[in-house]
Amino acid sequence: MIEVENLSYTYPTGHQPALRDLSLRIPEGQFCAVVGANGAGKSTLCRALTGFVPHFFRGSLTGSVRVAGLEVARTSLERLVGTVGFVFDDPFNQITGARFTVREEVAYGLENLGVPRDAMQLRVDRALEDTGLADLAERSPYALSGGQQQRLAIAAILAMEPRLLVLDEPTSQLDPVGSRQVLSALERLTEVRKTTVVLVEHKLEWLASRVDRVLLLADGRIVADGSAQEVLTSEAVQENGVRQTRFTQAARLAREAQLAPRNGSLPVTLEEALAFFG
Amino acid sequence: MSDSLSLYIDRRSGLHRLNPLTKLTVAGFCLIAGLSLPGLLSGYVLLIGVLIPLSVWGSVSRAFLGRTWKVVLPFVISVILIQGLLWRGGTPLVAIGPISFKQEGVLFAVTSVGRMLAVVGSFLLLSLSTRPDSLMIGLTQHGFSASVSYIILTTLQIVPRFQAKARQILDAQRARGLETEGNILTRLKALLPLLGPLILSSIIEVEDRAIALEARAFKRSGPKTSLQVLHDSAPQQAARRLMLIAAPLLVILRLVFEVVR
Repeated sequence: MIEVENLSYTYPTGHQPALRDLSLRIPEGQFCAVVGANGAGKSTLCRALTGFVPHFFRGSLTGSVRVAGLEVARTSLERLVGTVGFVFDDPFNQITGARFTVREEVAYGLENLGVPRDAMQLRVDRALEDTGLADLAERSPYALSGGQQQRLAIAAILAMEPRLLVLDEPTSQLDPVGSRQVLSALERLTEVRKTTVVLVEHKLEWLASRVDRVLLLADGRIVADGSAQEVLTSEAVQENGVRQTRFTQAARLAREAQLAPRNGSLPVTLEEALAFFG
Repeated sequence: MSDSLSLYIDRRSGLHRLNPLTKLTVAGFCLIAGLSLPGLLSGYVLLIGVLIPLSVWGSVSRAFLGRTWKVVLPFVISVILIQGLLWRGGTPLVAIGPISFKQEGVLFAVTSVGRMLAVVGSFLLLSLSTRPDSLMIGLTQHGFSASVSYIILTTLQIVPRFQAKARQILDAQRARGLETEGNILTRLKALLPLLGPLILSSIIEVEDRAIALEARAFKRSGPKTSLQVLHDSAPQQAARRLMLIAAPLLVILRLVFEVVR
């Protein structure tokens, strides 16, 4: 589904590369999380996967990114958007302002794609249902809370039925209630739809029990790649400015205080922590 | 805070169900008729004979009359005073010393107010009974630029948000001790710390919004579709054609009338 080969990229105003010789393969249907400290290159990777790098941000790019068989650098954004969906952090700025109800806002992308009205209605209803917004369909998008607006942004992209959904810190500007709403919607989505998802997110406890794979980025490179258990308990996580889950931290402290066995893997989820502490 | 600058009032009326292009054509026709028809009372005839009945049909008569009055009142006062007092020559109606109120000036003002009522009323009625996005969809389907349509619609929705953000920045700066009240100099000094964050955040927003639009295939060429169904009918199409033919004819007739007179 995603094939990234030796990707390096520097922003037009950047003094050093935001991504450095990065290679990556993500198979169809995989739910992949990207973690890393600020400036690690997470957002740039999202932009490269969705084509906004280099089409929107310009800059200098070497290497290649292929998504669903499309060479991203050689495919126009208007062609890519039917295949790749992109949701970013600011819920307010993702509302187009061109439509006056939630339902119409979700339909906006489909209108631009020229989807026939009957099919459009079905896809809009399904996206609203999947994101838990069906009851708010006739409200103004601006009358929604931050969490609801972010779910609206996700619904609007989902309705376009992309094969790859890229979400760049979708909960970073939300309060705890809004974050829970968005993450629950995302959880439903990954269960119901088998879309390939790349998610940049700092809520590691939530990620740990749900994603198939975690990539740790630092200084524009992938420094760890594996299951949540492998990556989030590795030394690389701490070395690169990412905190561990509170379950891993508790288990480490317990080991240091000789309150837990020295062998065996550290937990990253609540279930693993319960098993770890017996 | 209002969700939008739009004046639209949601009603289940026949006027609301009309195709937005029909209502736009009626508004345009009333504008041209209001300005072209001769006679002292032509504007009032359009208002009473066409616009008010339409507003009653659309169940928006109260808002229509209220808003029309609010918009036109300052014009009414100023035009009657200016034309009445400054009309050169003419028959004095009332005279106080060297100042006199002229009959011809008042009659000209009455005609102008009538025309103003027809022009303002026709577009207020359109705004009250037509969703802006429906109108833009209708226009875009007939070749109007999608980008211009987007700019008009987002302006209606985003300006209230922009005002709210300006208020937030103002509150934040006040909380940091910025003096925003007092004489003109103090107020001017307070502008810079307000405008800086407002302009910078708006520039960042423009980039985000452009990405959001790109992600929704905004720039895709080719035919577009619409979730909204804009009802149309043969009689409406015929009425639109008739008005589009009649409007320039009215202008020509008026020009001929003026030349002959």
